[in-house]
Amino acid sequence: MGEDRILVVVVVALCLLGILAVYSVDPVRTEGWGTRSFFGRQIIWNIVGWSIFLFFAFLDYRLLARGGWLFYLLMCLSLVGVLLFGTGDETGARRWLFSQSVQPAEFAKLFLILFLGFYMSESKEDFDSYPLLLKSGVLSIVPVALVFVEPDLGTSMVLLVTWLGALFVCGFGGKKMGIVLGGLAALGSSGWLFLKEYQKRRVMAFLNPWKDPLGSGYNVLQSQIAIGAGGLTGQGWLSGKQSQLRFLPARHTDFIFASFCEQTGFLGGALILLLMGVLVWLSMRIARNALDLEGKVFAALTGLVFGFQFFVNAGMNMGVMPVTGIPLPFVSYGGSALLVNLIMVGLLYNIANSKRREVEKRKFGHSDQ
Amino acid sequence: MWDKESAERIYHRIGILGWVSFVLLMVLFVRLWYLSVLQGDWYRERSERNWIRVIPLQALRGNVYDCNGKILAEDLPRFRLVLLEGSMQIDEARNKVEKVLQRKLASEFREIAPGEIILLENLSLEEVIKIEEAQEELPGVMVESYPHRFYPVSQVFSHVVGYVGKITSEEFKSLGPLGYEVWDRVGKGGIELFYEDLLRGRKGYRRVEVDALGQVRKVLANHPARFENSIVLTLDRDFQEYCYKLLGNHRGAIIVGKPLTGEILVLVSKPGFNPNDLVEGLSTEKWTELAQDEARPFTNRAIQATYAPGSIFKLLVAIAGLEEGVISAQTTFFCPGFLEYSGKHYYCWNRAGHGTVNVEKAIAHSCNVFFYNLALKLGPEKIVSYAQKFGLGVKTDFDLPGIKEGFLPTPNWKRQTKREIWYPGDTLNLSIGQGYLLVTPFEIYRLLCGIATRGKIYKPHLLKGILDGKGKLIREQKAVLEREIKIKESTWNLLVNGMKRVVTQGTGYACRDIPVKLAAKTGTAQNPHGKDHSWFGGFFPAEDPEVVFLVFVENGGDGSGEAARMARDLIHWFLEKRGVERGRR
Repeated sequence: MGEDRILVVVVVALCLLGILAVYSVDPVRTEGWGTRSFFGRQIIWNIVGWSIFLFFAFLDYRLLARGGWLFYLLMCLSLVGVLLFGTGDETGARRWLFSQSVQPAEFAKLFLILFLGFYMSESKEDFDSYPLLLKSGVLSIVPVALVFVEPDLGTSMVLLVTWLGALFVCGFGGKKMGIVLGGLAALGSSGWLFLKEYQKRRVMAFLNPWKDPLGSGYNVLQSQIAIGAGGLTGQGWLSGKQSQLRFLPARHTDFIFASFCEQTGFLGGALILLLMGVLVWLSMRIARNALDLEGKVFAALTGLVFGFQFFVNAGMNMGVMPVTGIPLPFVSYGGSALLVNLIMVGLLYNIANSKRREVEKRKFGHSDQ
Repeated sequence: MWDKESAERIYHRIGILGWVSFVLLMVLFVRLWYLSVLQGDWYRERSERNWIRVIPLQALRGNVYDCNGKILAEDLPRFRLVLLEGSMQIDEARNKVEKVLQRKLASEFREIAPGEIILLENLSLEEVIKIEEAQEELPGVMVESYPHRFYPVSQVFSHVVGYVGKITSEEFKSLGPLGYEVWDRVGKGGIELFYEDLLRGRKGYRRVEVDALGQVRKVLANHPARFENSIVLTLDRDFQEYCYKLLGNHRGAIIVGKPLTGEILVLVSKPGFNPNDLVEGLSTEKWTELAQDEARPFTNRAIQATYAPGSIFKLLVAIAGLEEGVISAQTTFFCPGFLEYSGKHYYCWNRAGHGTVNVEKAIAHSCNVFFYNLALKLGPEKIVSYAQKFGLGVKTDFDLPGIKEGFLPTPNWKRQTKREIWYPGDTLNLSIGQGYLLVTPFEIYRLLCGIATRGKIYKPHLLKGILDGKGKLIREQKAVLEREIKIKESTWNLLVNGMKRVVTQGTGYACRDIPVKLAAKTGTAQNPHGKDHSWFGGFFPAEDPEVVFLVFVENGGDGSGEAARMARDLIHWFLEKRGVERGRR
């Protein structure tokens, strides 16, 4: 089976697990299958998402690569739009456009990947040069900052990691990477001062959740309790007490991994981790085998973004990462994220396929076949 | 620019990214294994602690019945409003409940169990419904039923049955090791205190599943509280109520019992108090008011108050004289209305004098002069020793807490404590039941029992039987012979004849119309603080005594008056009731 087919199988499996997981914690599931229920909407988003997947899977990614600046502009405009016209949630953050239906920060991930792929490959500067480092840096920081002030710390970190990943993949030297990471670390520690109070508490809670088990440490602890209580084989479908009795917060979004583990145990959790691992591994393989630089950067950054989000989300569910509101790709409830993730899978599929389709047009590249 | 060298570098870098991903994935795997498999049991327990609440249920106390199965004390269900900890702030809960019920709640709340706080007790049914309807807005607030002690005949049995109350911190110190909890109630007096062990009952508990808001979702296990034993008393509720009423506005005590078994049918002390008020807990002011009431409503006059016995004591002097051979049936003294002794006059209650008096007549007419003469020949020590034989001045234990004993004065005692010698006048006073002599009404009742049974004194008791939780009789209290007083048959005969004549010819004329042969004796205790206390006691039928009674009325005047009239009524009541019962058979 080719990489493209394995890719689809893995992502379909993740999406199905996601629907099951959302169903199992849906507070209104007993009232029917309508669009009022979370899992009903998740199914609809899947149908829409997979249709769009088909579109991107067969649209030549190089056409997308040419639209580079357009995407950048679209990204920045939508993010500014959120800050100006966005609607928010109970924490006071403004994240949505069109009355909570579109979350531009999610699309920013895709746009930034597309833009960086385009920008890096079309660049007039040498790789591993300070000018390229600086220019790509400045261009990337703009969306990072716009998302950060929404505030959406998680997504802004994803965007930042996307840029770092682009530098790394494109072969920037150890010294330059060191400077960038050092600078970010310094910025980060001074940025502590700009964090919102609840964000600081989350970080403190991550360091010692037992200090305030009913307050800021509550989420972290309840999530670990849910995972631990699942044991090896879980408490059974629809019967996890932590999630069913609502001790676990954000059961259908940020902490869906924990509620899934509570019901299915180590085995269920390991299955999700395995699927995640295969997806990342496939992305890297597709990146290696891609015919051109855009394809390589697209695929590698896509894999990186998936991997990073997987790691942060599952990590925070298990208490090895601080709580930073990053959803679990394909599994967490949420339309924008699912659409964007499926477009990114479409892109991967496209890149994997295009090698076969256009092998004779190969201008340049390295093949391990 | 894009060249061969950088292409290889990119290829290499993607490989590194792949490896880093692999390592991080392994970290997650290991962590997942650690949490769910290695530490799974620990986390499962934490999870259970999250959602399982154990709600203790207050033990049910056993009922107290009278000898006919009528209720004297029982547990009735009431409703209270509790808040499960962690579901809402107390202030928030208070505000919401106040809005729903439209009434103010107390500002201080009591924790009944870890994690459960009482917001309000004794809800009306209407309020229970209001709370149920508003349940959506009141997460973690629930209506819970709890047992409440109720005494249907309140005052009448207050001294005997006693009452329960919330455990005090001192009581908790001693009872804690026995499994009592700070929110328990405990017997505070009477039967409730004496039979605490039997009545206490067993606590129950309920395991419930609660959600993160503290709402109870499901009852997992229900171990209802229950009671283990109920108690049946020898007392007759109707008879006791009747006797309580008989005393009217007087303070006093009435005791009725069966001399051949030791069963007590009536044990009244007036005034009583309302035990239902005490269960609720009295305000400090109300409590001090009651405690300082000069009518002493908390004193059980039958067993805790001492008085001079008056002429009833003459029965003992007569026994002592006959037994010691100082007098015989034929011995007579002349009563001119007084006795002159070393230049002083000691009067008979009948200043006109009784003339020539033998022992029977002396008892019947309660002639002081006869007993003055007798006592002078007998001496105080002998009198006291016979009094002791019949249980006067000796504490008689039966199933009530706080029983007191009377006091028998002796020359020795007077010398030692008062540093005075015993005058012949003291002996004269003693002979007619006055002076330093003090008895409780129950001691006199015991004396009468001893005479009725001709010396066989059965242990008095209030417990008739013990029922198990299903109402089955598991123990019956048998008659226990406590002691036997050896006295000549002729003495008993003389005594009973004298007591019969009390009714037919003497001071007990108020009871003349009673259709059974009655043996009785009046007593008038001189009271330096006011009107005399009035005694009247006896038994019937005289030859084959079935019932012994004693009426004591504080400030009731002389014994032939108030006390005798009450005795007449209670005997009539008893005979009538028994007649009805026989008719029914």
